[in-house]
Amino acid sequence: MSAASVRAEAKRLLALSLEGGAVSADLVGAVLAALTKSRPAHQLRPLLRAYLTNIRRELARGEARIEHAGPLASADADAIAAHFSKSLGRAVRPVARRNDALLGGFRVRVGDDVTDLTASLRLANLAKSLS
Amino acid sequence: MTLLSAFLAAEPAHEAAHAAVHAAPAATESSGPLGDILKLFSNFGVDGPHLTVQVINFCILAFVLYRFAIKPALGQLEERIRQAEQLQQDRAAAEAQLAAAQKTAEAKLVAASDEAVKILADARNSAKQAIEAAKAEAQAAQIDVIAKAKAAIEADRVKMMNEVRGEVSRLVVETAAKVLEQNLDDAQRARLNEAAVKQLAR
Repeated sequence: MSAASVRAEAKRLLALSLEGGAVSADLVGAVLAALTKSRPAHQLRPLLRAYLTNIRRELARGEARIEHAGPLASADADAIAAHFSKSLGRAVRPVARRNDALLGGFRVRVGDDVTDLTASLRLANLAKSLS
Repeated sequence: MTLLSAFLAAEPAHEAAHAAVHAAPAATESSGPLGDILKLFSNFGVDGPHLTVQVINFCILAFVLYRFAIKPALGQLEERIRQAEQLQQDRAAAEAQLAAAQKTAEAKLVAASDEAVKILADARNSAKQAIEAAKAEAQAAQIDVIAKAKAAIEADRVKMMNEVRGEVSRLVVETAAKVLEQNLDDAQRARLNEAAVKQLAR
């Protein structure tokens, strides 16, 4: 299989793994079971790798990864997730992780989009504007 | 001389003639004034035949001298005179040629001098123009070099200022970040997070 056909097949498998716009563990298991039976091993490895990449990307699209300095209330995390769910038009769940190097505020990553409201970024912008 | 020798050899005849002359006065004394004159000449020792011979001898001598000595000498003299005149004419011609040559040479010298003066003036003008052109070029190059140097100095200064400013800014920001990281407590960070949530909601 060529790389283009592998990517197309992985995209098709990803579509089969979604339920209500979100990745379903059951559907993913069914897809993997069907793949192991229908494909020879030498074709399975690149296809599985592309499928895994798609699944991770899709899961990331459904998560708001919040890096924050200091404590972040769960209500604030939910508010952040609700904000991105509303703006992106799909359900996004918050995944918070503390990082005091950010000094203050938080940085949110949803899929490939990054929103940075940290004090460290403001200081870096300040330094850039001064130099 | 042979003729004279012949006359001298005829001395007896001469002596006879002399005797005749001495004997003549007696006759002449009786012949009037001519006889007196002859007597007078005889008294002075003038012998007519002898005088005639002397005259003839003189004429012959004069002729011989004129023919073989004076005439060639006169010819040579005339030749010398003619040569001298020719030499004088040649000399005059040579002097004229020399004067003409000197005049021509002077004219050529004057022309050459004028030409040299002209060439010298042209050379001076050319040198002056070349010097002025070189000066202008050097001044332009100097101005260009100075402008480039000023621009380079200004660029270096700006670059240095930017570097210093960037370094100072980086140090200030790093220091501020460290101070904030060490001094911010959780309550302050929680307030910052709440402010960020509010900012996100706007």
